[in-house]
Amino acid sequence: MPITLLLLLPALALVGGVFLWPLLRYGWLSLQASSVLTGLVPVPNGGANWQRLLADARFWQDAAQTLRFAGLSLALELLLGLAFALLLHRPLPRRGLVRALVLLPWALPTTVMALGWRWILNDPFGPLNGVLRSAGLPAYGFLSEPATTWVFTVLADVWKTTPFVALLLLAGLQAIPAELEEALRLEGAGPWQRLRRLTLPLLAPYLLLAALFRLAQALGVFDLIQVLTGGGPASSTESLALYAYLNAMRFLDFGYAATVMLGMFALLLALSALVLLVQGLRQRLQQARGLS
Amino acid sequence: MPAGSQLSRIGFGGRRLRALTAFLCTLALLACCGAGLAGLGSARPVEVSVLMPAPFADATAPLVAAFNREHRDLQIAVTRGPLDTEALSDLAISSLLLGDTPYDLLLMDVTWTPKYAAAGWLEPLEPLLGDHAMEGMAPGAQLGNAFGGHLWRLPLLADMGLIYWRTDLMAAAPRNLQELQATAADLQRRGVVPWGYVWQGRQYEGLSCVFLEVLRDFGGDWLRPGDSREAELDSPQAVAAAGWLAELVRSGVTPAAVANVSESESLQIFGAGEAAFMRNWPYAWAELQKPGSAVAGRVGVVSLGDGTQGSWGFSMLRGSDHPQQAAAVMRWFTGEPTSRELALRYGYTPVWQSLLDDATLQAQLPLLPVLRQALERTALRPLTPLYAQLSDVVQRQLSALITGADSAQTAMAEAQRQSELILRAAAPAA
Amino acid sequence: MAKPLPPRGGHTLPLLAALGWSLLPLVWQLLTSLRTPEALVLQGPGAWLQGWTLANYRQVLQGDPPFWRYLLNSTLLGAASTALTLLLAIPAAYGLQRQRAALRGALSLLLLAAAMFPYVLLFLALLELARALGWGNQLLALALPYAGLSLPLAVLLLRAAFADLPPELEDAARLEGLNLWQRLRWVLLPLLTPAIASTAILVFLFSWNEYPIALTWISRSDLLTLPVAMARIAGSSVYAVPYGAFAAATVLGGLPLLGLVLLFQRQIVSGLTQGAVKG
Repeated sequence: MPITLLLLLPALALVGGVFLWPLLRYGWLSLQASSVLTGLVPVPNGGANWQRLLADARFWQDAAQTLRFAGLSLALELLLGLAFALLLHRPLPRRGLVRALVLLPWALPTTVMALGWRWILNDPFGPLNGVLRSAGLPAYGFLSEPATTWVFTVLADVWKTTPFVALLLLAGLQAIPAELEEALRLEGAGPWQRLRRLTLPLLAPYLLLAALFRLAQALGVFDLIQVLTGGGPASSTESLALYAYLNAMRFLDFGYAATVMLGMFALLLALSALVLLVQGLRQRLQQARGLS
Repeated sequence: MPAGSQLSRIGFGGRRLRALTAFLCTLALLACCGAGLAGLGSARPVEVSVLMPAPFADATAPLVAAFNREHRDLQIAVTRGPLDTEALSDLAISSLLLGDTPYDLLLMDVTWTPKYAAAGWLEPLEPLLGDHAMEGMAPGAQLGNAFGGHLWRLPLLADMGLIYWRTDLMAAAPRNLQELQATAADLQRRGVVPWGYVWQGRQYEGLSCVFLEVLRDFGGDWLRPGDSREAELDSPQAVAAAGWLAELVRSGVTPAAVANVSESESLQIFGAGEAAFMRNWPYAWAELQKPGSAVAGRVGVVSLGDGTQGSWGFSMLRGSDHPQQAAAVMRWFTGEPTSRELALRYGYTPVWQSLLDDATLQAQLPLLPVLRQALERTALRPLTPLYAQLSDVVQRQLSALITGADSAQTAMAEAQRQSELILRAAAPAA
Repeated sequence: MAKPLPPRGGHTLPLLAALGWSLLPLVWQLLTSLRTPEALVLQGPGAWLQGWTLANYRQVLQGDPPFWRYLLNSTLLGAASTALTLLLAIPAAYGLQRQRAALRGALSLLLLAAAMFPYVLLFLALLELARALGWGNQLLALALPYAGLSLPLAVLLLRAAFADLPPELEDAARLEGLNLWQRLRWVLLPLLTPAIASTAILVFLFSWNEYPIALTWISRSDLLTLPVAMARIAGSSVYAVPYGAFAAATVLGGLPLLGLVLLFQRQIVSGLTQGAVKG
């Protein structure tokens, strides 16, 4: 076996162990009825769980809500993350300290900062409402209005994870040879043109990677929602992961929980395939344009 | 140089060497056996492991330390669980799912008991504690511990929902919910307080507790009494109860922010003097009397109707290595002396009728007479392994209702429909 | 390798905005940590003149075991996870990059798919594994699932970094007679330091903040990692939310992190100014 494949094996083995086993186990569980009603003893029930999933309005509602959350979150993070990465790439005064401070939100545990956000968004005592009040505006129920609560959960998520995207993109920026940028500048290209013609194309693989990872993470949002709203108000912020968790740990319905988790995973794969497809199509389009 | 050849140089030849080796081995063997026997004889202390939420662990820590000092043969090891009770349940369930749990006792919420029992995780207690373990406990405190012919849990404390009112804003406590609503609206209209009545309206278990109290007050019930397989959420009483809560929010007596208010937020609002009434558990009383509170000394407490019972009790996990000792620890934790200490130091609601009737305790704990009266009758949430699903249905519908969705009629009809689906699924197995 | 760009003005405003965005909520946490619970709800002009206290810090620091113990546990575990991940990811990334396009694409897709499963849902199945293998209550055993969960991202990131290196570099080294290990050690890895540093930070922070797996694998108080220990910070009752104490724990837990990230930043900067490949 060529040495290059051998180098891959240990990593693949560990990844396989950590991911494959749960997936297989959930696959098996999804074909069983295993809940308090069966005394937690798995009883094969064919595809009953899957039939239930397809007809489960709550699953699809949560899927839509999770997609909505992930979409807005991703869009904001990519924009902000790129802006931060470009900013941090520059020779700023005390660049190290600035970078560390900008990266700090990512460094803190989700559950603790979620509690912090719950307080910041508190109606009526939180500081955000304090700012509103001092501006003469009425207090707002950031986390109690069903139509807009999800936007503020996105805010808390974007605040925490933008540094992650920024770091990813920064790694990509550092790989761009400075001579190329210099050459473009000497040609007279302004900053936006340099961004469009040089930076973004070279950053594309990192952007795609960041997008896919953040999409997956956002689709799996759980602790943030649980602490901020518990899924409410009016179930408007309930995510798929929260639904799966409810089924497993509260309702003790493990068969169905496994089905929900695999359903989530299937949706994720479909979405990623879509993103990659679009990306591939765009690349082919660009190549075609380049050739003509 | 190998030891053998060295020894032979000093004169330890073959046979003597073997004899010495055999002698040393026998000595070693005897030493081990002796140590083992000595260990058996000197009764290494049995350690009973208890998992409880952090606040309870902190409160009972001095008492546990005293117990451990007094008893050489029995030690209690308390594991501080997460603050959030759901996270504690996760931790317990995770360890139980793998069949080999390190805990003997679990301090758990009353609504978990049927679920854990149906999952086969609990040890029935009557063989260890006898059939009269709860004799002497207040009626309201006894609920929720025994069902299916077995005793599954011994209560440590039994809370119930109470109404807190501002003694400086009204002459007397309201006698029923309608009076509460009228007084609250009046005070708010006159601008005395920004809000009339705060309660827990976040989409979580607390909302179910609030709803049950109002439901009982309107004469309805969650499940049909006597038949735990039929829900009664679409009865006129249930619709009226849900409608009453929605009306509170719609009319502004209760702030719309209540849709994300749990116990701590409602305490903050009432404690800052911003509301005339609050629904909360007994713990809030002590918090409101603290020096920094804006309403210290101006708060009264009353029990209107059947308060939802919220009790914490000990269950023994199946597979415990020392059930007898665990039962002894359980009896100690829930016994009268410990209960008295916990009541005096931390204001825990005692479950023993004798303590509730005790005049000296009543003198030291001003809340005790109210608790005593409240514990005569409490509202128990449905005692079924499917309670989590049923509560989830009610939470969803109520949260939608109080944030402006259609009408109480449609909300409760939907709640009834979904509850029926859940209960019907259980029917064949029941 | 990118040279530092000449300093240019006009970045003060974006800089302040970025710092404000990142730091204001944390500043608020700092303030909350110094307030009594009653002071949190005070409104009006006099609100900020009273209610200051160090009680929250006292509560957090006087726990048993002491707070620094959790920091130590998290640091050890983070270092172990990072080391293990890098040890496995660097060769894997190199190997992946050297594969034929078809195999490389397929494996990359698999790794991507693996990384996308929301890991919070894996914890139940992983717990079964832990019990079966007897890894419960062993701090460093956590490094294995953490490395497993971080590897996909690490491998993909490092593979992209390997791909950015000009192939002539390695060819030149091979012609000079360096074997694989020497090529990696002396030629390729030094050029990858920024990417490695970035990857290391990501892995370390993931390990630092991870909660559900740590919660269920470890129950011994002295082995707890920081997030799990923080979840056990209690108020006076099950219904009390100790905002102040949590805020204090956030501050205390964030300070060493700030220091660590600061240290790492120097690595990146020095990596940038190292000798670069010309042309």
